[in-house]
Amino acid sequence: MADFDWPWQYKFPPFFTIQPNLETRKKQIEAWCTLILDYQKYLKSYSLDVKEAQNSPLFYNKSISRRLHEDGIYTILGELQKKGHIEWKDKGRKECLIMWRTPEEWGKLIYNWADSKGLLNTVCTMYEISNGDDSADTDFHGIESWLLLRALKSLQLEGKCEVMAGNEGVKFF
Amino acid sequence: MHRRGAGLGAIKNKTLAQAKYRDKGSEIAEDKFSQMTQQMEMFKTNLEDFARKHKDDIKKDPEFRLQFQDMCASIGVDPLASSKGFWAEMLGVGDFYYELAIQIVEVCIATSPKNGGLINIEELRDKVECARGRNSQSISIDDLLRAIKKLKILGSGFTVINMGSTSLVQSIPGEMSMDHTKILQQAQKNGFISLTDLTQNFKWEPERAARALEFMVKQGLAWVDDQDSSGRKYWFPSLCTNIGR
Repeated sequence: MADFDWPWQYKFPPFFTIQPNLETRKKQIEAWCTLILDYQKYLKSYSLDVKEAQNSPLFYNKSISRRLHEDGIYTILGELQKKGHIEWKDKGRKECLIMWRTPEEWGKLIYNWADSKGLLNTVCTMYEISNGDDSADTDFHGIESWLLLRALKSLQLEGKCEVMAGNEGVKFF
Repeated sequence: MHRRGAGLGAIKNKTLAQAKYRDKGSEIAEDKFSQMTQQMEMFKTNLEDFARKHKDDIKKDPEFRLQFQDMCASIGVDPLASSKGFWAEMLGVGDFYYELAIQIVEVCIATSPKNGGLINIEELRDKVECARGRNSQSISIDDLLRAIKKLKILGSGFTVINMGSTSLVQSIPGEMSMDHTKILQQAQKNGFISLTDLTQNFKWEPERAARALEFMVKQGLAWVDDQDSSGRKYWFPSLCTNIGR
């Protein structure tokens, strides 16, 4: 796997201090949101444990000995929640689900893939989509089932598929 | 005693002589004039020849362009005065600087989220050259300064701040005071500065230093870093060109 391409801000020490100036802070939070989603995408990770993450390279840049502290992390995650990219798993906000693509975006991607593979009007299993050979080179290969289900449910709302009872299979239209 | 030159005849002679002098004078002037016109004609043809011959050099080589500009300046010709001028038609240099000015504006706008509207002139040049594509002519700092000068016509949006060995181009409206310029100069080496740096090096009162730094944070020019062991540091993205390259 290629190395993660850190943005320039990651080597810029003040990036790890939440900025007092509103305009600057807005840019900073925006950059953090992008960084978190990009990094999770790079790891193909679908959840984040706040305590663990504090010591991960994402929030702790050892080479310049700067870290984003808990308050800062919650500020950024709050913003990501507003944008629909994360959801807290628990009330105590210890762990969250991360969707570097929203379910709607995933849905579109999966639908286009199904279309290109000639899978419309047939039934596919969930496993085929997330782990089958046909999806090996797609971004959703290895997607966690909760997120896959949500993506398909959003497609269902648009009338583009129907999730079978029991959530094991799906039929695309 | 024979008094000479006091009679009617003498007056007549005198007017005659004066008329003759006048004629001769205008004759000489006409001569000179036609000579001058001829010289000018020649000068123009030579310049045209020169320009035609070196058109590519002028367009491509920033060094040569600078010398050409200097030459024109020394004989009182501004090849950039108008895009319809003789030079512009001849060389298209007028368009060159207009085009460059637009590219400068584009780069400044595109990078302002990062640097708050303050950019090192070398970084600006790299970015402009990048935007122009690989095959176009190279750009010198002098070209940039000339193009920026043209932008001044549009108002006080663009200013060049001299930093000694290099310059910063400011694309946000708003005057920088002497204090702010001094801070930038001081921060230039490391990309950041602290309040104590200012009170110690400039012997400023802490209030004065704090006010100036506060202003730069408010303008989005400086970011604060509270995780340094020796207290708060003020960082200037515009001075940190080595980060993220």
